[in-house]
Amino acid sequence: MTSDNDRRRGLLARLRERPAARSRGRRRLGAAVRLIAALMLAGGAYTVFAPGAQAQDNPQLTGAAAEGKALFDVSCVTCHGRNAQGVEGRGPSLIGVGAASVEFQVSSGRMPLARQEAQAHRKPPVFTDEQTRQLAQYIQELGGGPVVPQGDDLHEDGNIAAGGELFRINCSQCHAFGAGGGALSSGKFAPSLHPATDRQIYAAMLSGPQNMPVFGDNQLRPEQKADIIAYIQETLKHDQDPGGFNLGRYGPSTEGLAIFLIGIVALVFASLWIAGKS
Amino acid sequence: MSTHTEHQAPQGPEPLDVNDPKLTRFDIVREGARRDDIEIVHYEPQVLPGTKAERRLTRVVAGFFLITGLAATAFLAIYIWWPWKYEAGRGGDKFYTPLLGFTLGVALLGIGFGILTWGKKLLPKEVSIQDRHEGTVDAEGRTITGQTMLYMADELGVKRRPLLGISLLAGLAPVAAVAAAPLVGGLISQPHKNNQMFTTGFATPEGGQRIRLVREDGRPVRPADVSVGGQITVFPGIDHGVSNKHADSPTLLIHLRDADAQESRRANERVGHGDYMWGNYAAFSKICTHAGCPASLYEQQTNRLLCPCHQSQFLITDNARPVFGPASRRLPQLPIEVDSEGFFVAKSDFTETVGPDFWERP
Repeated sequence: MTSDNDRRRGLLARLRERPAARSRGRRRLGAAVRLIAALMLAGGAYTVFAPGAQAQDNPQLTGAAAEGKALFDVSCVTCHGRNAQGVEGRGPSLIGVGAASVEFQVSSGRMPLARQEAQAHRKPPVFTDEQTRQLAQYIQELGGGPVVPQGDDLHEDGNIAAGGELFRINCSQCHAFGAGGGALSSGKFAPSLHPATDRQIYAAMLSGPQNMPVFGDNQLRPEQKADIIAYIQETLKHDQDPGGFNLGRYGPSTEGLAIFLIGIVALVFASLWIAGKS
Repeated sequence: MSTHTEHQAPQGPEPLDVNDPKLTRFDIVREGARRDDIEIVHYEPQVLPGTKAERRLTRVVAGFFLITGLAATAFLAIYIWWPWKYEAGRGGDKFYTPLLGFTLGVALLGIGFGILTWGKKLLPKEVSIQDRHEGTVDAEGRTITGQTMLYMADELGVKRRPLLGISLLAGLAPVAAVAAAPLVGGLISQPHKNNQMFTTGFATPEGGQRIRLVREDGRPVRPADVSVGGQITVFPGIDHGVSNKHADSPTLLIHLRDADAQESRRANERVGHGDYMWGNYAAFSKICTHAGCPASLYEQQTNRLLCPCHQSQFLITDNARPVFGPASRRLPQLPIEVDSEGFFVAKSDFTETVGPDFWERP
């Protein structure tokens, strides 16, 4: 409530003069309003100027794993899901399968899968060695799991005789004594070991792909795995079969076929000749 | 053919005198055949003596026999001097048995071909006719034979004194058994010695410790040794447990996934084997209940155990019952536990008989 006198005195003068004393209640109310206003001002300023903090959903990946993720996002998410968690009816979760599993499946060409069927088949690999390593690194960093030791030759110190014993008790029932492979149920099969490299054999033992059982390091120590690999690579692959011709190393099936197609036919014709009229 | 009922039909007017010097050897042969009622109708050489054809055939037969001799000699030489000890990689030793087989085969084939060629090509063609005997002897001969036999029977006195006959038979019968006993006895062995058809090496001995599950090198097995989805072949941890002496004992210890293990335990409970598993571990006999081959092809995702011989498949998560193939009984399950030192032990022996059916199996 200014009088004519105050208006003439000027704005600044008016602001300088002390306001009239007010009641205690009105003073407190005013203080509260000013407090709230100040807080709101501070909060607003903070919200505007503070850096935008998002939830950390992209784990920090190493360089190789980041490359692997890029490959994964292009080639694998259809069946294995965006975060490798698996898609029902198409692909299992890859959390925990480890670099060993990826190395085996990708380097042998089994993954990317051509079609859903009883078993993935070995075929020419889609990814190079470098890319395979990157994919493996990505999956390893994503969920952990078994890893194949370094190096391309994993059987340097392997004991072939011990490897032979271990092969016969653990591997020969499915993969056959000559490592030619064998049938399993319902369209599945244990493949021939002849195209496999050291790393692939090691990775398969460690990760148990599809229906192959898992042979962890507690069951077959790394030295024992090296023994088995030495036996396979040195003896089974390079040993000559007695007589030179192994009929595919499938055992009784091909041998029986040969006997019936060649041997029995020859015997039949021989008996016809012997007993025929002279 | 001849309709004669008489004996001497095609012999001709009278028998030839074989001492007649005018007869050729062939005439005598033909006479001998005639006296057996065989008439040599046609006899002519296929190749005339001295012709080129005969010489050629002779050389062929001789050639076969020569091949036989060479092959047999080669067999002996290979048997003595060819390397036979195993060596890794390529080598002559890999051809030892094939070469022995080849030379032996050639030798035998040479004999066969030689003899067959000789017989089929060099020997004369012959056509003979043999009269079919009607089979009856003359009436008088029959009477005489019959009466003689009856007379001998009477004279023996068996009819009048039956005791003779009975004692003879009764006394001789065990003698026949005596002759056969050493031969047959050597073949029989007691199949139920030590109740061996119903027990395996895992049976806990009286007042003794429970038997540990060990690997092929004798080391006992801890649960941590078998990964999830893995399997290991185990044997009884006793003397000669890993040998043919306990060939009925090899067992497959399987570490199932959680979901499969629960299904397996529910199946176990359905048949009263509720405590046979330990955690997620189950142990089943490897001896197929069909014909006894080791069923050890384990598929970790389908949980099927496949036998390679006749392709019986056993579903591990349902008490290893057969789901395919000729087997009709489930695989026996070994009740397992972990002892105080952390190694797997068999709580008791298998509670079903191991392996294929046998007569006394309940």
